[in-house]
Amino acid sequence: MQEKSELTIRPAEMEDASSLAEWLNDEKILRWFPMTSEPRELDDSVRIWISYARMGAGLTALWEGKPCGMANLYIQIYKKLKHQCLFSIIVKESMRGKGIGRRLLKEIEELAKEMFQIEILHLEVYEGNPAIHLYERAGFKRYGIEKHFIKEKEGQYRAKIMMQKEL
Amino acid sequence: MEALDVSSSNFDIRYSEIEDTPYLKKWFSQDEILQWMPFSDREEGELALKIWTGFFRYNACLTATFEKIPCGMGILYLMPYRKVAHHCLFQLVVPPSFQKRGVGSSLIKNLKHLAKNYFQLEWMQMEVVEANPVLPILKKERFYEFARQEKFFKYEGSYAARLLWECDLKDARKE
Repeated sequence: MQEKSELTIRPAEMEDASSLAEWLNDEKILRWFPMTSEPRELDDSVRIWISYARMGAGLTALWEGKPCGMANLYIQIYKKLKHQCLFSIIVKESMRGKGIGRRLLKEIEELAKEMFQIEILHLEVYEGNPAIHLYERAGFKRYGIEKHFIKEKEGQYRAKIMMQKEL
Repeated sequence: MEALDVSSSNFDIRYSEIEDTPYLKKWFSQDEILQWMPFSDREEGELALKIWTGFFRYNACLTATFEKIPCGMGILYLMPYRKVAHHCLFQLVVPPSFQKRGVGSSLIKNLKHLAKNYFQLEWMQMEVVEANPVLPILKKERFYEFARQEKFFKYEGSYAARLLWECDLKDARKE
């Protein structure tokens, strides 16, 4: 593993949308997300993700100054729900294994707690995703599983595992 | 309160129309309804109303009427992405004066039929605040709980869990 000094984190910017779109347009990454590679679905998901950057709810990881991953807090709009938040993380396929996901997770937890006073952080991850171990090590506990959430082209189903952590 | 005769000519379930919006708006401002909703006031209810009525155009919303007057509504929140388009969340609202009279049960039956036969959905899910009176109806309609998220809702300093229930629409025995 390389030195983490090459890794920096900054608030996400609207300009990061092109990097996000590029990473998502990779089947190896897309299998862990609900959308397909159809332009309509990809554009829609990038638009939604990046819209949270305006609220200061997104982070971008840079490796030697270049975007290599992002994390996002889906800040709730209703008052009854504002104390908790769903989040997601993406790391560019070729940059896996460098501790980027772990660092993004740590930073997004801090952002959630300090800037948005989030008490509970939760996530949705599909079965088989190696990131599950990262979340478990970080203290996230499973609270449910939706067994038929994803329907693959071949007709097989993939479960969605739901996890949360009190901050 | 007596159950409505949902087979009578006075009771009907039809696709929602834009003219139903004022009824939904009124229900969304009633405390008896708000306590079970994620939104908590008129302003937030306006946003929820906008989202709900946005599904009218897809024929994904149903309105129950008694003597031609809306007495409940239900919605299928159709999923926008292909990999998840085989299931959807749904919601329903029945005003206090029509609760415990069979309206909710009838709406759920019709939403299941719509989901399965018109949209070819395989599963339907509902997310509810714990202790929601709709739970016995869901159970009767063969829904089961698959997730319970503690402290999902927070209102005036108190927390409540979010329960997720689903129904397998593919199983012929269940219809």
